[in-house]
Amino acid sequence: MTDETETPDGLAAEYVLGTLGADERAQAEALIGNDPAFARLVRRWERRLGELHAMMHSVEPPPDTWARIQARIDGAAPRAATLVQPDQAVVAAPESNVVALSARLQRWRQVAAGLGALAAVLVALVAIQALNPAALPGLLRPKPIEIVKTETPVNPGRFVAVLQQNAAAPAFILTVDVATRTASVRRVSAEQPAGKSYELWLVSDRFPAPRSLGLVGASEFARPALASYDPATVSSATYAVSLEPEGGSPTGAPTGPILFTGKLVESVPPSP
Amino acid sequence: MLSAQELVWLMAAVAKGDRAAFERLYAATRAKLYGVVLRILRRQDLADEVMQETYLKIWNSAGQFDPALASPITWMVAIARNRAIDLVRKKTEVSIEEESDVFDFAADTPDPLAKREMTEELQRLLACMARLDEERRRLVLFAYYHGWSREQLAAKFETPVNTIKTWLRRALLDIRECLGA
Repeated sequence: MTDETETPDGLAAEYVLGTLGADERAQAEALIGNDPAFARLVRRWERRLGELHAMMHSVEPPPDTWARIQARIDGAAPRAATLVQPDQAVVAAPESNVVALSARLQRWRQVAAGLGALAAVLVALVAIQALNPAALPGLLRPKPIEIVKTETPVNPGRFVAVLQQNAAAPAFILTVDVATRTASVRRVSAEQPAGKSYELWLVSDRFPAPRSLGLVGASEFARPALASYDPATVSSATYAVSLEPEGGSPTGAPTGPILFTGKLVESVPPSP
Repeated sequence: MLSAQELVWLMAAVAKGDRAAFERLYAATRAKLYGVVLRILRRQDLADEVMQETYLKIWNSAGQFDPALASPITWMVAIARNRAIDLVRKKTEVSIEEESDVFDFAADTPDPLAKREMTEELQRLLACMARLDEERRRLVLFAYYHGWSREQLAAKFETPVNTIKTWLRRALLDIRECLGA
């Protein structure tokens, strides 16, 4: 069944309205950080709905809130210094964990802001080199991909990856939970060609051939099991989506074109 | 509340690291933001935590604020709401239960504004929302003001969650088409 409202714009609208559950919010936030087209959809919805706040009652916060905000700012080190030399932000502070984390975030933000495009290309190259072409008989010129992984704050050890070649191409959101060894993949803006299915694969140098993780659902989540793989394999594997005959590959190995590949790469949640 | 133009000016100063401007920005916006997050979180300790995170984020990213894309208060409210909803989604078991205690005084009806105090954008949005079915309009407003998930809305409206999702998305599509932007 196709649903005309099951679109990236629908997801963006519900994200802004605030009705998504924790998982879908994490996915939307991953998209915002990594897909400029989706981020624009969200900004438009913020413009459309944002004025509603004017109808809400104001409530004075407790008087000591301001002091706590100031303390947080002072504890987080001057912005300029942090941006230029993030390591110095770690110097002695009462809440050194918090500061260290904040410094790490700043460093990642620098990387994200300055090197985002380059990093994506490098990761894509690494991902493609990690594929063993001999093990993939159906490998037809995999295109460079934009693969980004976000470790969500909701659940450490859970990774969200956006599988997308470019902003205009179909996108899949891959969620991997290393702890419980589950993976789900969801089609966001990919049309499913008639008579075809998208299939998710795990590619690891520990196995001679790619292992199927199951079919990608139309709009629902598929829940392919990763239970038979150890966490190290799960976190180091390359994930790929191929286009297969309806119902999945008849041979157990990818037979159609590989549309997307990507690895889990450490990152931080995008700023909302 | 200061005018939008004054807030834009303050935001520019905050982006340069001006603490005095930040304090004025806080004074001008704190009650609005606290009202927004308290309605969603319903617990003062959580609301206080979200206020700290929100203003820390505003302090750190004021330079990214673009007055061509949003008014300062809309931008700030979006940050606050996102933080509050992210937090409440991790604590749903708490928030549903504690729905109706201390903050019942915050009525389900939005703050009635005199029409002359409304921005043009708000008037257009409300005109579009008035064209929705009564129930769908209530659904969208409840979602926005309380930060409720589909599941919570399904319980409140005694309607299956899939139906809630369809209603929400259709209502949002209708709003988008009505606004024409």
